[in-house]
Amino acid sequence: MNFDLSDEQQVISDLAAQIFSGQSTVERVIEVESGDGFDRTLWNELAKAGLLGLCLPEEHSGLNMNMVELALVLEQQGKTVASVPLWSTSIGSMAVAEYGSKDVRSSLLPAVVEGKNVVALALANYGANDVMNPSVTATDTDGGVKLSGGKPAVSFAQHASHVLVSAKRADDSIVLALVDLKAPGVTITPVEASNRQPTANIEFDVTVPATHIVAGLEGNGREALRWVHEHALVGLCALQLGISQGAIGIMSDHVKTRTQFNKPLSAQQAVAVRAADQFVTTEAIRVTTLNAAWRMSEGFDARQDVLVAMYWATEGGHSIVIACQHLHGGIGADISYPVHRYFLWGIQISTELGGASQHLSRLGKLIASR
Amino acid sequence: MSMHIGDSPEEAAFRAEVRAWLSQHAAPRSDDGGNWHDDLHAHSIACKKWQRVLFNNGWAGISWPKQFGGRGGSHLQESIFNEEQAKFETHTGLFAVSLGMVGPTLMAHGTPEQQEVFLPKMLSGEHVWCQLFSEPNAGSDLANVATRAIEDGDDFIVNGQKVWTSMGQFADYGILLTRTEPDAPKHKGITYFIVDMKTPGIEVRPLVQMTGVAHFNEVFLTDVRIPKANIVGGLHGGWAVANTTLTSERGFIGGGSSSWSVDELIDFARERGLDKDPVVRGKLAECYARAQTLTYLGYRLRTAASNRTMPGPEMFVMKLAYAQHWSRTMDVAMEIAGAHGMISGDAAGDAMHWQHNLLGQFAIRLGGGTNEVQQNIIGERGLGLPREPSVDRDQPWRSLAKG
Repeated sequence: MNFDLSDEQQVISDLAAQIFSGQSTVERVIEVESGDGFDRTLWNELAKAGLLGLCLPEEHSGLNMNMVELALVLEQQGKTVASVPLWSTSIGSMAVAEYGSKDVRSSLLPAVVEGKNVVALALANYGANDVMNPSVTATDTDGGVKLSGGKPAVSFAQHASHVLVSAKRADDSIVLALVDLKAPGVTITPVEASNRQPTANIEFDVTVPATHIVAGLEGNGREALRWVHEHALVGLCALQLGISQGAIGIMSDHVKTRTQFNKPLSAQQAVAVRAADQFVTTEAIRVTTLNAAWRMSEGFDARQDVLVAMYWATEGGHSIVIACQHLHGGIGADISYPVHRYFLWGIQISTELGGASQHLSRLGKLIASR
Repeated sequence: MSMHIGDSPEEAAFRAEVRAWLSQHAAPRSDDGGNWHDDLHAHSIACKKWQRVLFNNGWAGISWPKQFGGRGGSHLQESIFNEEQAKFETHTGLFAVSLGMVGPTLMAHGTPEQQEVFLPKMLSGEHVWCQLFSEPNAGSDLANVATRAIEDGDDFIVNGQKVWTSMGQFADYGILLTRTEPDAPKHKGITYFIVDMKTPGIEVRPLVQMTGVAHFNEVFLTDVRIPKANIVGGLHGGWAVANTTLTSERGFIGGGSSSWSVDELIDFARERGLDKDPVVRGKLAECYARAQTLTYLGYRLRTAASNRTMPGPEMFVMKLAYAQHWSRTMDVAMEIAGAHGMISGDAAGDAMHWQHNLLGQFAIRLGGGTNEVQQNIIGERGLGLPREPSVDRDQPWRSLAKG
């Protein structure tokens, strides 16, 4: 039993902290926000440090690490609300490395490691947003699969080179396809996302060659989608862990220094207790996220562990960012003050791949039907 | 050392050894969660019997040094043993204070003589200990204790009243906080004693709770004579010693093996045909998520205990989370219990176990510092919020307004 990070993991975490806190300052976040929303300078720094290939195989110039290490890096991104497509690119490229053909691996992955390819993830769906029930339809054709239909709110779609998209055949089997976003038949419509990240809806009317069908040609589509889904969820938990810490840091500085009634706000126990509760919830997100990431890295069944972590990341993360926003009073309502970004990211993550009730419902089914 | 959230091969082997031994010496836990003890006297006898079995077989004080009669093992091994033991119909509560609080305190602050005399007999179950800390006017503000100890030759003479003394009616010895220097600030005039509970002048009066049992007691001390050799941590040096005891108390309340589990709650729902109800399932899932979280918080504390010194706010987080988990789970259990949830006592059938734990939750929420005390400490140590300005910290205790 050892819940501590290894020395190597600590180095990764420190390196990520140094890059994100050094590059993604509040001023820089504002600058990127007023531009196209993609911090390419930071992206190049992450590439130089090897962090874009963190979990990719060595044969494609990756560092061959796993979900714990990725979670540590995403946590640091969350702390600084840095505007880079690290979550989608990491999870999408890991899926390609895990399930993709030799062709697609060698055409996509080396350029991901160099920072040239950016992968978007189109997992969310119109309607009930059940990841395992894709809203894009797949039809087998000669030499490939035709995709038709749309995916909502895909972050960084307008800046990505590729999108990993889930689709469903008429027989309910699943296909995971890597689609070139420049291909004819792919329509990208930018939309405004609540977290202010570049985001677009995508319509597909495109035939994907068999080499780029990452999973689902041989009946493994559902398993592969479950794999991507679980990894994506843990990635969101890690981002939310960082968001929560960032929000709490700003909030506790505020309640310590803001004076009302001739004493700091935190001298009011109603304020101090609410602040302390957010710390407790953040610790719950931390230990459950690390546990889920570790079990996944070790190849253990992590279905319940992921849902437990996701329950905290959604229900808990949501309440943390609301409390931190609330405790700022009117000061937080002014968007020149940084705390609102944590609120916006927090509520977005609590929605991205389903809210708390969805995760509890799935967890309840798993534990009650044993 | 790489991360490993679960048993290492050595730990798994130890767990298997423990389980094999337990299955030879104890019965599996009964389906209804069983070990709620409404007959405290019978419980106390069963606890002594079981402690003796543990001691004779080398399983008492697993993490305690061999010189004190312990096994000389690790804290991790002790946790593994406790986890496995909780799956059996074993009685241990009588020794919670002795082994969980007094032992660690005497190992840290006791004189060699105190350690030699008292520690082995805690492990053998020969001596039962109780905690004489809280008073009617010293609850959350424990440093306000008013029980007076006045020097008299080689002894101190003690007068005062203590309360919330768990299992005090069965105790042979107590750990006692007294006021020895009323003119010093309140944290600096406290002395920590070991007291023989058979000393003349000690009267123990059980307090019956909603559960129908008297787990707690009031203890009245009238001209109780205690030798100076029984001081722990020096004259007026009791507050630091008390903090060691309280840290241990939070640790065993927060990390304690419960008399119930979420698995048992799921079974309870299944028996009532509610396991397929989606709302009930969602609530069970929430209980499960909280239970898992406590497991990992516990793993983190154990790692910290093995790899370095005790961490900052983690233990307070765990104690608070445990108390919240306990009360929320009992709310769900009462919803599942239906009409039986209204019945107290044997007629409630398998719902009785849950109702007793519902009624007993206040010991968990309040013992070892209330939820609100934990929240205040977490604010200070987790977020660096300034301590609330204290008006009484540097004032002589005698000058403070008494409640």
